[in-house]
Amino acid sequence: MGAVTSAPPRTPWAGRTVRSLGYLASAVPVGIPAFAWFVASVVLVGLLSLSRLGPHAFLASATAARALAGVERRRADRLLRHPVASPYVPLTAPNVTGRARQLAGSPATWRDAAWLALLFPLSLVCLLPALACTLVTLGLVTAPAWLWAVPNPNAPWFVAPLVSTWPGRCVASLVGVALAVPVAYLVVRVADGQVRFAGWLLGIGAQQALAQRLVETRVRVVDAQAAELRRIERDLHDGAQARIVAAGMTLALAERKLRAGPPTAADDVRLARRQLDDALAELRRLVRGIHPPILTDRGLAEALSALAADSPLAVDVHAAGTPQLPAAVESAAYFVVAEALTNAAKHADATSCRIDIHAEPGLLTVRVRDDGRGGADPAGAGLDGLRRRAEALGGTLTVTSPAGGPTVVLAELPCAS
Amino acid sequence: MRIVIAEDLLLLRDGLIRILTDTGHTVVAAVDNATDLRTAVAEHRPDLSIVDVRLPPGFRDEGLRAALAIRAETPDAPVLILSQYVERAYAADLLADGRGAVGYLLKDRVTSLDDFLDAIERVAAGGTAMDPEVVSQLFARNSRNRGLAALTPREREVLGLMAQGLSNSAICAALVLAPVSVEKHISNILAKLDLPPADDTHRRVRAVLAYLNQ
Repeated sequence: MGAVTSAPPRTPWAGRTVRSLGYLASAVPVGIPAFAWFVASVVLVGLLSLSRLGPHAFLASATAARALAGVERRRADRLLRHPVASPYVPLTAPNVTGRARQLAGSPATWRDAAWLALLFPLSLVCLLPALACTLVTLGLVTAPAWLWAVPNPNAPWFVAPLVSTWPGRCVASLVGVALAVPVAYLVVRVADGQVRFAGWLLGIGAQQALAQRLVETRVRVVDAQAAELRRIERDLHDGAQARIVAAGMTLALAERKLRAGPPTAADDVRLARRQLDDALAELRRLVRGIHPPILTDRGLAEALSALAADSPLAVDVHAAGTPQLPAAVESAAYFVVAEALTNAAKHADATSCRIDIHAEPGLLTVRVRDDGRGGADPAGAGLDGLRRRAEALGGTLTVTSPAGGPTVVLAELPCAS
Repeated sequence: MRIVIAEDLLLLRDGLIRILTDTGHTVVAAVDNATDLRTAVAEHRPDLSIVDVRLPPGFRDEGLRAALAIRAETPDAPVLILSQYVERAYAADLLADGRGAVGYLLKDRVTSLDDFLDAIERVAAGGTAMDPEVVSQLFARNSRNRGLAALTPREREVLGLMAQGLSNSAICAALVLAPVSVEKHISNILAKLDLPPADDTHRRVRAVLAYLNQ
């Protein structure tokens, strides 16, 4: 590197070589605590896993690992301009055990651990040859300046002329200059390899990146679909439904005027009017299935209260303080409760039901528990449709319904708000 | 009758005006939003306001909210709410003040002209007009109620018509029954539901609705 930096026109290579050496060298001071962390974690977590403190130890160890891995990501970005995206997903579990379990289930935790365990040996393996080559090259280039001070009478015959004579030392310097380029290349490549390996372990994998992209596009699709359903509801309300009502009004007036005339004509008009009524009833059922108007009008909590009030069961709704959520999430929650209540009344022979809505940042939990006799078929058409609806939002729907009851329907719906 | 209409869709506003004027009523104002409705009611003091639930700017339940506000200011102002769909919760809001002169009907009912005209007369006279669909929602949620379970099918029919706000004579006509038997059914119903007997039809209807709504 010295060779290259000493050359007056600084090429991009010069800076890159310096930064690469810096990256390789700074890996050692990070690698030492990382290695110490690894050993300490294995011992501590191993021992404490026998006690109740196991999850705490694991959580603490993983938190420290994430901090160290964060240093590694920053190092890669700052020194080699190799950005490494953080792959962590937020921990949502309410307690230590849950969070520890989430961490243990996350590949990122183990990839961090692998990197931190490998960093120290790897840094030595990479740094030592790179440093040795660099120092030799530097030494050769500057040979005329210092070699005279350390005369070496024991030099082998083929090295002696280079070491002991002025022209020889100049030739050595030239050899050093010639070596500088491949050595710089070697240093850059080694550092590059190391940082790529770091990026592979510490970043988001190709699969995870793909999954992330899929999640993002799915959210957009679901939002667009919800907006579309509301638009359809509005269009039907202002368009088809209004037109049919208006036609009915005209027919009603015609019917009234025909009362004086022939009875058959009046009968036909009355029939036409009834047919329009049927069309409207049909449309209304359709609209309710697409997007219940009360959800738009008054939000989820009130729409659920309306559902509860319309149910023949004694229903307790705990949904106070539910914030406004994306339309797709509200509508999924609404249909989950509607279906669960219908099932409880129809099949489970329940007399009462409890609905709990819990909104936390990023997650809406809907829980419907009845006091019926259980035995619900989770693969039944209604529940299966709801499950697919929840999954489209990236959520889950679980039904537990042991024989003898109670049936609990639990939907967990992620939401961006 | 002097009537104020609030309906944002021109097609339906015109239809309503045509029907009402053809049947001898006067539409003193026809507006398309909730703010204008309140102004028009304050200005004209109509015998009846016919209001669409969904009005601009939000296209949610602005019409209903305006109607409730009007009734909070002028307690006995008769209001008939029309909607493309009915929600029991909205009916409960309307009935909450315990006074009469309210109605809540699907827009489709307008086309059964005689029933509709009967309903507006009833509301303007301080009575009640509840959509049959609201009534069936009320029955559905009371399906485990012991009082209702004790009713005979005929009594349930009579109760349904009572809940819609029909007078005794209208119930007679609808079920083709003699006035005496209707009265007997009604007193049986009130006894089985443990409701006080009352001669005033309107008060009786409201008691029945309150019972079903509780």
